[in-house]
Amino acid sequence: MSFWFTVLRQLGRNLRQTWGSQLMTLLTVSLSVLIFAFFYLVYTNMLTLGDKLGDDLSLIVYLEEEPEPELQEQLNRKIRSFDEVEEIRFVSRAEAYERFAAQLGENRDVLSDMPKDFLPPSIEIVPLKNLRSLNQMKVFSAYLARLPGSLKVQYGQDWVERFYYFTRLLSIIVLLSGTLLILTTIFMVAYTIRLTILGRQAELELLKLVGATNNYIRTPYLLEGFLQGLLGSSFGLCSLFVLFNWIKLRFSGPVLLNLFEFSFFSPTVSGTIIVVSILLCTLGSYAPMQKFLRI
Amino acid sequence: MNRQLHSPPMIELIKVSKQYPPDVVALKEVSLSIATGEMFFVIGRSGAGKTTLLKLICSMETPSNGLIEIAGQPIHQLKGRHRAKLRQRIGVAYQDFKLLIDRTTAENIAISMEVSYKKPQLIRKRVRSLLEQLDLADKHDSITGELSRGEQQRVTLARAIANSPAIILVDEPTGNLDAATTERVMNLLHKCNKSGATVVIATHDDSIYRDTSHRVLELRTGRLVNPVEEVSG
Ligand SMILES: Nc1ncnc2c1ncn2[C@@H]1O[C@H](COP(=O)(O)OP(=O)(O)O)[C@@H](O)[C@H]1O
Ligand SMILES: [Mg+2]
Repeated sequence: MSFWFTVLRQLGRNLRQTWGSQLMTLLTVSLSVLIFAFFYLVYTNMLTLGDKLGDDLSLIVYLEEEPEPELQEQLNRKIRSFDEVEEIRFVSRAEAYERFAAQLGENRDVLSDMPKDFLPPSIEIVPLKNLRSLNQMKVFSAYLARLPGSLKVQYGQDWVERFYYFTRLLSIIVLLSGTLLILTTIFMVAYTIRLTILGRQAELELLKLVGATNNYIRTPYLLEGFLQGLLGSSFGLCSLFVLFNWIKLRFSGPVLLNLFEFSFFSPTVSGTIIVVSILLCTLGSYAPMQKFLRI
Repeated sequence: MNRQLHSPPMIELIKVSKQYPPDVVALKEVSLSIATGEMFFVIGRSGAGKTTLLKLICSMETPSNGLIEIAGQPIHQLKGRHRAKLRQRIGVAYQDFKLLIDRTTAENIAISMEVSYKKPQLIRKRVRSLLEQLDLADKHDSITGELSRGEQQRVTLARAIANSPAIILVDEPTGNLDAATTERVMNLLHKCNKSGATVVIATHDDSIYRDTSHRVLELRTGRLVNPVEEVSG
């Protein structure tokens, strides 16, 4: 009881004495958390988007002729010998026509004059849903183009490539901003606590002389780091949440963003970010104590 | 004083020497035993080594040679928590005060009680009572940096005894005080001693030890002088 009373009062004194740099640190921590969390949020949403795209992402090989079952078997083997795939489907002329008609819906009348076999038969290949096979799309499609009887290979080439370059770039940015977060929190917190400690040399000397234990002297500083981490990361996440909702509201009209639901961090992820920030800041406050508070 | 001589020593120095770098010998082979509950005067000219002796006893300085035991424990070999706990039981009124000059009188005195987590209301009561006894009642909320030296000296003393330590070390307690205030200070120290504290007073003010029944030892350039020799010399 008295322990926490004394510790909290000491903490209050520390904060009052160096409130300027305390505020700066808080801001820096918030900003680093905001930057990191922003990119991380974009990244996670991109991954979900990628998953969803992957669901209907397939390579289509258009064929000259409908393959006989024997040839189908052979093609199947050839394709699987190149790479594992999720699924291989053979689509006949008739099936292709049906699908197209279904897609047209009410406008299917336009097809009434067309022969039922005007669409070429094809093979649909659904690749495994992982980044590696998605990155190999280009090589894979070149291979498929050389299959006997293949007319043309189609997939959302540019689109897929750009998308995955972008996610890879994002993952690098996430890593960089994560490093930035770690460095700024540790160094800024260490710096302000160093300031506080240097500003109270006389008092710390005296405290040691009158028999203050290490815990008595250190706890306020550790608590200071803890608070910086807690408040800084909470502010950072809160501002990101506000920003997130603003963007959602602002761009809810355009079709592109409506294609799929953007989501904020789950409570677990938010909690993890806060806990990690607290750990980092507490670590930051521990470092100068080792150096300046030797007893 | 027979009772005290039979109880185990509170402070025990065995052939203690202290040399400051590069080659200032402040104490030379001082052996000394102070009983629990004793009041003890260390006298000597300026530079004789009185302050050094007190600093060694409270473990602010380490001896170059020899052994110091406080309540049976070798204080300089204690580490961390144990040393801190022992220091909490030693109250020191430093010759240079060591006050936090940007804090109030009350805050300065409270520090020695706060480190052993005394209850805030207990601290408040004790601080008021001490200020009363030292004629500083109106200085409760004054910033110590703005007090006179005599007042600062008494605040230092109050801080030293606030936590009711087992050992009270006082360095020149009356240097800046008039006769009446000196008497107040000595009364307070006697009171502490009567309630069980071992009190060591370093001074060159002969008015406070002239008529005393307690032990008086003189330091002369770092050595203890036999009091009998002193009389005959
Ligand atoms: N920190 C120090 N460094 C070097 N010499 C010191 C130090 N402290 C004290 N001395 C020297 O040690 C001797 C004893 O000093 P001190 O114990 O302060 O004497 P007193 O308190 O009796 O006046 C003096 O010669 C003094 O100059
Ligand atoms: Mg002295």
